[in-house]
Amino acid sequence: MRKLVWLFLVLAVTLSFAAKDIIVVGTTDKIRTLDPANCYDYFSSNILQNVMVGLVDYEIGTSNLKPMLAERWDVDETGTVYTFYLRKDAQFEDGTPIDAHVFKYSFDRVMKLNGDPAFLLSDIIEKTEVVDDYTFRVTLKYPFSAFVSVLGYTVAYPVNPKVYPADSFYEGVPSASGPYRVKEWIRDVRIVLEANPNYFGEKPKTKTIVINFYESASTLRLALETGEIDVAYRHLDPRDIIDLEGREDIVVYKGNSPQIRYLVINVTQPPFDNVKVRQALAYAVDRSVIVEDVFAELAKPLYSMIPEGIWGHKNVLPERDLEKARALLKEAGYDKNNPLTIDLWYTPTHYGTTEADVAQVLKESLEETGVIKVNLKYAEWSTYVEYFLNGTMGLFLLGWYPDYLDPDDYVWPFLSESGAKSLGSFYSNSEVENLMIEARKLTDQEKRAEIYYKVQEILARDVPYIPLWQGVATCAAKKQVKGILLEPTQIFRYYILYWEE
Amino acid sequence: MSLKNYVITRVILAVPMVLILLALIFLILRIVPGDPVIAILGGKAPKEVIEQKRHELGLDKPIVVQFFDYIGGLLKGDLGKSTLTGRPIWDEIKERFPATLELTLFSFVIAVLVGIFWGSFAAYKRDSGVDIGARMFSMVMYAVPVFWFGLMMQYIFGVVLRLLPVGGRISPTVDLKVITGIYSIDALLTGNWDALKDVFEHLFLPGLTLGLVISSIFVRMVRNNTILTLGQDFVKAARARGLKEKVVLFRYALKNALVPIFTMMGLQFALLLGGAVLTETTFSWPGLGSYLVMKIRYRDFPAIQGTVVFFALIVVMISILVDVINALIDPRVRY
Repeated sequence: MRKLVWLFLVLAVTLSFAAKDIIVVGTTDKIRTLDPANCYDYFSSNILQNVMVGLVDYEIGTSNLKPMLAERWDVDETGTVYTFYLRKDAQFEDGTPIDAHVFKYSFDRVMKLNGDPAFLLSDIIEKTEVVDDYTFRVTLKYPFSAFVSVLGYTVAYPVNPKVYPADSFYEGVPSASGPYRVKEWIRDVRIVLEANPNYFGEKPKTKTIVINFYESASTLRLALETGEIDVAYRHLDPRDIIDLEGREDIVVYKGNSPQIRYLVINVTQPPFDNVKVRQALAYAVDRSVIVEDVFAELAKPLYSMIPEGIWGHKNVLPERDLEKARALLKEAGYDKNNPLTIDLWYTPTHYGTTEADVAQVLKESLEETGVIKVNLKYAEWSTYVEYFLNGTMGLFLLGWYPDYLDPDDYVWPFLSESGAKSLGSFYSNSEVENLMIEARKLTDQEKRAEIYYKVQEILARDVPYIPLWQGVATCAAKKQVKGILLEPTQIFRYYILYWEE
Repeated sequence: MSLKNYVITRVILAVPMVLILLALIFLILRIVPGDPVIAILGGKAPKEVIEQKRHELGLDKPIVVQFFDYIGGLLKGDLGKSTLTGRPIWDEIKERFPATLELTLFSFVIAVLVGIFWGSFAAYKRDSGVDIGARMFSMVMYAVPVFWFGLMMQYIFGVVLRLLPVGGRISPTVDLKVITGIYSIDALLTGNWDALKDVFEHLFLPGLTLGLVISSIFVRMVRNNTILTLGQDFVKAARARGLKEKVVLFRYALKNALVPIFTMMGLQFALLLGGAVLTETTFSWPGLGSYLVMKIRYRDFPAIQGTVVFFALIVVMISILVDVINALIDPRVRY
């Protein structure tokens, strides 16, 4: 019997040591593709950000860019020719060096295959050139100061020409250039990452990361509670987060998220074509109820399209003021006897289970004026998008995830004529358009910020959108798992996670 | 009609059935609002990009042309490519189907065992506690929503008792060489006993949930049929010959009672394959059911069509098989 107890103890100790080298993460997200040329969803990018690297990266925990595969770069005086000087010690997991030829191959491949994220490069790049083995040059169609930020996204990651075919998308396991390589990938079941021995940078703190895929938030939560996983990342329900916060063995992490949520107003559709109506709505919405009641403080009120944490941000929309809202509606010809009747649209599943509650709360806050009557309407996501592209909906909820971390990506898609059309507001204002083009040409961040302040002030005046809240990124993990960092860039780095001794 | 002709007729009749189903699915998907390209790219990509993608996928062609293109592909065994992932649908179905098959088989075995033994025993002990229990069970289980029952099972066995995993097919840290995709068989083939134990632990809750829900139909059917058979002359004759009750029940009554039940079970098995949708979602089971739900959300036309056609073919095949076996057992069926 005693021998058995000893044996058990030895086994337990061995197992606990063995377990130190592996962390299991659970998620309800899915991987669509691990080809940078076609990857345009969060979780696919998230995996690529841990197994591949690009010309630039963000300093851990910040939104400041730093050189990565490019040791340095320069821009000519026209602002259109970027020359990148590459480091010489980078290679893929099979030993293929990552040089200028690889970059040219990768960039050209993205633009030729024209996958989902290709427009991020093809809209701005005129041509790519190999200057010498370790010097890579890109010429832009027009000056675009946010170009280096675009290079931080996975679409600009170099791929191994021996693995990724030139004329078709690749569906297999990527050839790693980053801290991890993919050891096993069973679609929608799990993906196993292990330290990449050929990575030029620092070794990961934990040798193996297993990511397990779940179909629902409730199962993900149960998996964390029962110890099947060590970290639950995307997407626990707000209710689950609150419950988990009460547990001693689990830590809930919260971080800034660059995701923003807002109301879109179709400025061409009556009664929303009247700017006074739009301004009145901006005064009437109650952000605090959404943040407190629906999201249990897992969101922050937002008063501009450029969220907090991004440089150039300025609070421009007004605090709630029902008197002002009523006065504006009166000027527009509405009062208690002749109320403003509007439809408010939302989509029930695309933004999670809380969306219907948000719509209900918004309806109540607008109706509190006593002058507005709101009918709630909803449609499934693909129908919803079709409706707003066609201009069917006058007032509807929408969200935005940036493609690159630059204020440009929070104003250009919304306020430029082409962008506003594709987001259903149909706003068009040449003054704003020119200001934004001007800001794209400048490289001086302070000067650009000044311009963006002006742009945001015009947004508050014309109200084609009403920013409502910005997300709070959350993650729940066992107490002993350390190194969890919810970064403003949304990059979740598995290679800095470790077990506390 | 000879058996051979009967089978050929059944197969030929199945073709228009599948085609009509396919045409319906094809039409419905295109009539309801929602565009697969838009569902993927959202409002982010420029309009030209959306238009180009639509052109690439052939979605700008007239519906009739799209339909015949699709049928043409089908005849060559090509189910098309997913608009969401760009991968061949057949590959995705092949990845997902083994999980559904494994869950279905496991549930089916549970349902049949519970159904036959409890049902026949309840018939034999008519109006006793066992019988009342069986009737109550089949009524309650038939009414219970499968996802709620699944959640309760997860909560009791997973969270409170900590006995079983709450979701997935295999523990994140268990290695298994995948050969057939049916993990229990793969574990057996490779002699990986740890994996086999782990796979069965994962299979147990969803299998039991689905199995018990389906068994409610079987219990009632077996019970009623057995009661009918027990009243027939040949059973009385067997009893009169002094045979043991067990022999009378299992060798005489049940054997005859099972003929119509067999047909029912075959069709239930086919329906089970599709009916696993809710169970798969509840237990994060990566099968075709949860795959279909995901694809519907993204309006992935080829994937939805492919999965429906695949299910339809299986249902047709199983029902033909059941009919043929029935025809073998009972020649009257053929006329």
